[in-house]
Amino acid sequence: MTERGFADAPVQSAHAFRAIMQAMARPGRVQAIDADVKAPAPLLPSAAAVALTLCDFQTPVWLSPRLRDERIVHYLRFHAGAPLVAEPQAAQFVFATAADLPPRLGLLAQGTHEYPDRSATLVIQVAGFVPGSVELSGPGIRGGERFGVVGLDEAFWTAMAENHARFPVGIDAIFAAPGKLAAVPRSTAIRMLESA
Amino acid sequence: MNVPAYNFAYLNEQTKRMIRRAILKAIAVPGYQAPFASREMPMPYGWGTGGVQVTASVLTPEDTLKVIDQGADDTTNAVSIRKFFVRTAGVATTGKTEEASVIQTRHRIPETPLTEDQILVFQVPIPEPLRFLEPRETETRTMHALEEYGVMHVKLYEDIAQYGEIATTYAYPARVAERYVFDPSPIPKFDNPKLDDCPALQLFGAGREKRIYAVPPYTSVRSLDFEDHPFEVQRWDQPCALCGTRESFLDEIVMDDRGTRMFVCSDTDFCARNRGER
Ligand SMILES: [Zn+2]
Repeated sequence: MTERGFADAPVQSAHAFRAIMQAMARPGRVQAIDADVKAPAPLLPSAAAVALTLCDFQTPVWLSPRLRDERIVHYLRFHAGAPLVAEPQAAQFVFATAADLPPRLGLLAQGTHEYPDRSATLVIQVAGFVPGSVELSGPGIRGGERFGVVGLDEAFWTAMAENHARFPVGIDAIFAAPGKLAAVPRSTAIRMLESA
Repeated sequence: MNVPAYNFAYLNEQTKRMIRRAILKAIAVPGYQAPFASREMPMPYGWGTGGVQVTASVLTPEDTLKVIDQGADDTTNAVSIRKFFVRTAGVATTGKTEEASVIQTRHRIPETPLTEDQILVFQVPIPEPLRFLEPRETETRTMHALEEYGVMHVKLYEDIAQYGEIATTYAYPARVAERYVFDPSPIPKFDNPKLDDCPALQLFGAGREKRIYAVPPYTSVRSLDFEDHPFEVQRWDQPCALCGTRESFLDEIVMDDRGTRMFVCSDTDFCARNRGER
């Protein structure tokens, strides 16, 4: 059987969207997400809430190997109606875990300079947040914001810095942890901190 | 239990998902006009259907909504939009700027400074700042893509040549985060400095032209100008005739049938607070 998605979709999606929107508007600022949603493991309820709030038949979804579980596939088809694609570059939403990210972020849909919105959103399931492996700056940030994500190393942040260098095209990343989420859009500049 | 006549906040979930995706892209690319599939709303265009769709997509039941039109909460337009959301979303409403979590506005930014806990939603009639210079959409897209904004400066400079100053006083173009030139909607240029480095998230919805754009919090918004003609806001010789402030945008109103005129705050909530009437 399939776990239920949102029991009260209009209200739960409104709450989830507020958290996602605030995360995107305030890069690196961790938002609480009350994801009262059942999801088949290892899909986190917070990541499931992002999928149910944003994905539907119009948004091709790619799942990383660890998330490509039959029950998760069925869950996303049943509750979101989202078409699953075999190649990450064909996806509008890319769901992955910190341990099996798509190999090259630059190969995901970047949008065009005329339509930078035609780009992928990368949703990464993570264990949690830690202070201070990178300093973020740019729109949505007053001064600088120290930020870090459990399980994401310097190679990932280097790729995100390269992503920022391609602005206004590029991807936007959402980090979904148990009960929390944060985001780093393409507009955010990334500086590696020495201690990282 | 009563079956609600509408989905929460009127729009169906599929429409909200589509609008919410556009809002996130708009935030990620500040000042860029993200297309969305605008829906018919139970009110005519010109009544802020773009702003209404954005508000409907961001509201939660716990929000307190304020709606202003030209600075006032009691115009027909503001009242009907407020009633619409009371009926369809059951949200609380307020006239007090500092009590509101979501503010939908047409033509003004409140005088009371906004906070991080607030979202400001603008109703936009014409989202494209280059439209009057280049009517073709394919061309304006290319101009934005290539940051070809010279034509905009030429237009403003022609103003200076002709009138000795930049004649544009409403919908004054500005550059967001040093990248996209955008139209801040027909707010007076007096309000442009409030767009800059604002703690609140600012969202813009154009219903007829199907565009959403955004200024994230703490984002630079620089009004276009020239070194020898720096950007300036409107000033008045006298204070508000009702509350005495010199800090606000003033409207000239006719007081009686003998045509007596005076200047008063356009932001009626701000004026009432200054007078200690609330
Ligand atoms: Zn006054």
